[in-house]
Amino acid sequence: MELSLSKEKINNLKTKISPHNEAVRLRPDGDIAWIEFDLPGEKVNKLTSKVLVRLLNIIEELSQSKYKAVVLISKKNNNFFAGADIEEIKDLKVQQDARDAAAFGQSIFTLLEALPMPTIAAINGACVGGGCELVLACDYRIATDDASTKIGLPEVLLGIIPGFGGTQRLPRLIGLQASLDIILAGKTVLGTKAYKAGLVDLCVPKELLLSEVKKFVNEVIKKGKRRKFFSARGLANTLLEGPLKFLIFKGARDLVLKNTKGHYPAPLAALDVVRKTYGKNLFKGFNLEADVFGKMAVTEVSKNLISLFYMTESVKKQTGLSGNLSVDLSEVKNVGVLGAGTMGGGIAQLAADKGMSVRVKDVSLDAITKGLKTANDLFSKDLKRKKITKYDLSRKMSLISGGVDYAGFKELDVIIEAIVEDMNIKKKVLSEMASFCKADAIVASNTSSLSITEMSTAWPNRENFVGMHFFNPVNKMPLIEVIRGTHTSDKACATIFALSKKMGKTPIVVKDGPGFLVNRLLLPYLNEACYVFAEGLSVEYIDKTLLKFGMPMGPLHLIDEVGIDVAAKVAKILYSAFGVRAEPASVMSKIVEAKKLGKKNNSGFYIYDSAGKKLNVDGNIHNICGVQKTLDNKYKPEELVHRVLFPMVNEAALCLEEKIVETAQDVDLGMIMGTGFPPFRGGLLKWADSLGVSKIVDDLEEMAVKFGPRFKPSGAIFNMARSGKKFYQ
Amino acid sequence: MKSENDVVIVEGVRTPFVKAGLDFKNVHAAELGKQALKELIAKTNLNVKTVDEVIIGNTGTPSDAVNISRVVALNAGIPKEVSAYTVHRNCASAMESVAQGFDKIKSGMAEVVLAGGTENMSQMPLMMSKNQVAAFEALAGARSGGQKLSALAGLVGANLNQVKDLVTTAPFSETPNKPIISLMQGLTDPFCGINMGQTAEILAKEFEISRAQQDEFALSSHQKALRAGESGIHAQEMTPVFLPPKFEKYVSADVGPRKDISLEKLSKLKPFFDKKFGTITVGNSCPITDGAAMILMMKRARAEALGYKPLGVMRSYAFMGLEPERMGLGPTLATPVALKRAGGMKLKDIGLIELNEAFAAQVIACKKAFNSKKFYEDRMGLSEAVGEINDDILNVNGGAIALGHPVGATGSRLIITLLKEMQRRGNVQFGLATLCIGGGQGGAVIVEREN
Repeated sequence: MELSLSKEKINNLKTKISPHNEAVRLRPDGDIAWIEFDLPGEKVNKLTSKVLVRLLNIIEELSQSKYKAVVLISKKNNNFFAGADIEEIKDLKVQQDARDAAAFGQSIFTLLEALPMPTIAAINGACVGGGCELVLACDYRIATDDASTKIGLPEVLLGIIPGFGGTQRLPRLIGLQASLDIILAGKTVLGTKAYKAGLVDLCVPKELLLSEVKKFVNEVIKKGKRRKFFSARGLANTLLEGPLKFLIFKGARDLVLKNTKGHYPAPLAALDVVRKTYGKNLFKGFNLEADVFGKMAVTEVSKNLISLFYMTESVKKQTGLSGNLSVDLSEVKNVGVLGAGTMGGGIAQLAADKGMSVRVKDVSLDAITKGLKTANDLFSKDLKRKKITKYDLSRKMSLISGGVDYAGFKELDVIIEAIVEDMNIKKKVLSEMASFCKADAIVASNTSSLSITEMSTAWPNRENFVGMHFFNPVNKMPLIEVIRGTHTSDKACATIFALSKKMGKTPIVVKDGPGFLVNRLLLPYLNEACYVFAEGLSVEYIDKTLLKFGMPMGPLHLIDEVGIDVAAKVAKILYSAFGVRAEPASVMSKIVEAKKLGKKNNSGFYIYDSAGKKLNVDGNIHNICGVQKTLDNKYKPEELVHRVLFPMVNEAALCLEEKIVETAQDVDLGMIMGTGFPPFRGGLLKWADSLGVSKIVDDLEEMAVKFGPRFKPSGAIFNMARSGKKFYQ
Repeated sequence: MKSENDVVIVEGVRTPFVKAGLDFKNVHAAELGKQALKELIAKTNLNVKTVDEVIIGNTGTPSDAVNISRVVALNAGIPKEVSAYTVHRNCASAMESVAQGFDKIKSGMAEVVLAGGTENMSQMPLMMSKNQVAAFEALAGARSGGQKLSALAGLVGANLNQVKDLVTTAPFSETPNKPIISLMQGLTDPFCGINMGQTAEILAKEFEISRAQQDEFALSSHQKALRAGESGIHAQEMTPVFLPPKFEKYVSADVGPRKDISLEKLSKLKPFFDKKFGTITVGNSCPITDGAAMILMMKRARAEALGYKPLGVMRSYAFMGLEPERMGLGPTLATPVALKRAGGMKLKDIGLIELNEAFAAQVIACKKAFNSKKFYEDRMGLSEAVGEINDDILNVNGGAIALGHPVGATGSRLIITLLKEMQRRGNVQFGLATLCIGGGQGGAVIVEREN
């Protein structure tokens, strides 16, 4: 039997790594050997190297045994295998090591596959990544129909490709179309769907898993080993999976490029491996898979995606208080929403979606109707996509009610304010509302630009006042800035932090201050894009350059989306707070004066149709702003990117110094989740570190001379450069 | 005299009442009930964990929500642990729910009860004809190809016969081929076989009530309802209903009271039930209507502990029966019993009355009977009449002829309307809500205003 890792290397690893004997147990049961996975001290099983070595030892023992069947099963609650240990992948720095790590796993699974007796995997709970590859190496698979049972290969989401044989065994088992669907998008499928796809041989209710496995094993003992291969059904599929498979590869490649815009190499690499190996020699296939895995595992993109994964995981454990203090919180079961506009309606929908009861208040029944419609439209989309049933829809909508008075407010734990952005009106409404609420109700303002500390003076109990800045559209944008005013209590902050998580969002705690974090960092970038535009470069070039950098949308297009008047207003607020470094580009107000407000009135840097679809750049935009056109090649893409993003880095250094947020991680999460800063770059400050803080400072100084004093590096970043510090130590 | 064991009515909320086939046409009865109940809970800032029982009246029994009370309760956010059941006493279903709440609280089985009713008469189904059902059954039972073919032919035949009968027979006549209109069936007494309108015709004739008297009564109902609607009186007991499935509109006012109504117009309408000798028209009857009305009731001690200021105290209730063909007289029999149960009260003690207006003739007949010594001697062996009904205190904000009568919801609507007006007046101590019940019954509830 050929293995993708040499005997020497395998033996070497076997002696170097001590087996984790408790994580994998071999339980004899008559003719059947049960391999039970139960990683001590963890909620999930992971395929660490120690677990792999232990598994190897067991396989070697079994290969000499008389057992008639082997069953692999997890003793965890609703988890089979969470995959390989990401911690180990993170630490892979050398391509050859990474290649060998994959080949080691491949070899063990190949030995498992080669056992003389039939092997059966009994799957309940997540079975992903290496776990999925493990069951693919078994002869038979049984899955439960439990909602927790998800089988798939999410490797590409971490910038790597399946490395334990997934690119080889999955296509051979379920065919090209179904397997590429899983591998290239990093998808998982439920037990029922896995059964339909032929990925598992049986799908059973969770409660019957053990008894069904025992029945199944008895039949399998009679049947013996087998190797299942996919065979296409129907003429079209037979052609597509065979002679016309290039069509599938081409379609898959186009889809990947469309989804990743070429920024993420892993899906293309995985596709390449499948394309080159499908239907050919398995051993060669493993070798190529291991080689490509090795290449991918050491890319910066992969490291960045893994670090982002850890960031989001760590938020799950955070409480929103510094030092991760915990306070006693009661679960928020009902929320009030003040204002049924786009944001209010979106917030109501989100809360109802997560099972909270919502009471909306606005000044007119028409407004309430609109809010209900906003929520209902979002749920209807989910219904159309079959994400929910009609019963779910009616149940979720039933959680939302509304009126023009404060009926029901005495029962509310949390009230989220989402009315017009006007300090005086907000204060007036807050003081009017106070007498209708519980004394200990927590009030969270969804303001994007006003001071939480000042607003809190209108609430009798200012400790209970906090900011909860959602981003538009609420249902899609994953970030919430939890704004701590001067007087906000730990309890209020932690309650809103927990509520944000309950709403399925990623919260970061931000100290009250102009623009909070995200808008404060975003504005210098948008503003600078306007300055570049004012030099006469084309809108297309500016936006395309940033799109190529990985931004989800060009800066000028984003200004249109936000509303040019809104952007100008925020720019003004920041200017009055920060002075020269935030001096707004004059073109913004010129465009507003020309009554071009962006997408909302179908005319900004771009022209939009009545449905809000972007058509083309307004050909007259330079004239309107009194700008002489110049050639785009005045700045190379990299120069342009640095020019618009370095002011952002500069501002981020200040935010950290002022403790607007506590860590560089908060900044990066905020920018990725709040603005779509490219995840593959790891975040603004990860990216800045990769360039070097001192380079950025040097460039900023140079730009300050060339373009004006707004670029002058702040003391904060200057000191970092001088002492050789990075944002991530 | 106040007692901690009193059953108090804390608050009530109803939806607007909308004539069938209009804005509520696509709003399920459970949805109407839920919106009313949710608003009642919000308005009273009720902690839903305190609720012991949910009792909701409904007559249509939608097949996708047979225990509609449970559907309403769960969707309104009542905890899953709380019991909920549906009651059916035809037109008095919602009054029955309040009566059962009263009994539960009095007997100590509950302290906080949500009661009320909901009805969507627009959605009462058209049912397949007998012949069509038979054809479908044949199709489902067919095994061989030949059987299937002939069953299919049978189905086509049943459909053709249906079309034929629809074209050739009178609109509401029954044949084995025409679809069955469940609403019509529901309004027809299964014991004596006559329609509710025909029961009113009987009363009109026996009590010698002229067409003009009936039309005048109907006009006055509209005028009072319009006045109350315009001055915001009805709004005090109503919550707007936001309309699924699209939530693009809401309804915040009753659709029934008409400004363009006049005696002349009313007099031109043709009798609906007895074309030849009849006097009952669609103008002097209550319209088929959709709506819901919910009430929060509690044991006084509990209400006080929770800090509520109730609208009133429920003193008694009574239901009595009579021959189905004179069902409209039900109030005259239930009222004296309820008065007696309320501690030997007399009709003259009552300062405000809501007597449901199923038909103008029926209300007028009740008035006459209430004041007839002979009627009570014959019917109940009493020595005197119950008394005269003073028009000034009867249905002062309009009645079902203008507002409509969503059958399963009217009982609680009457009690809410009554108590709210007693609170507005401030000088009325006792009130009576009473109605006639299809099938030959009457119901009555006596309430006392709470200071």
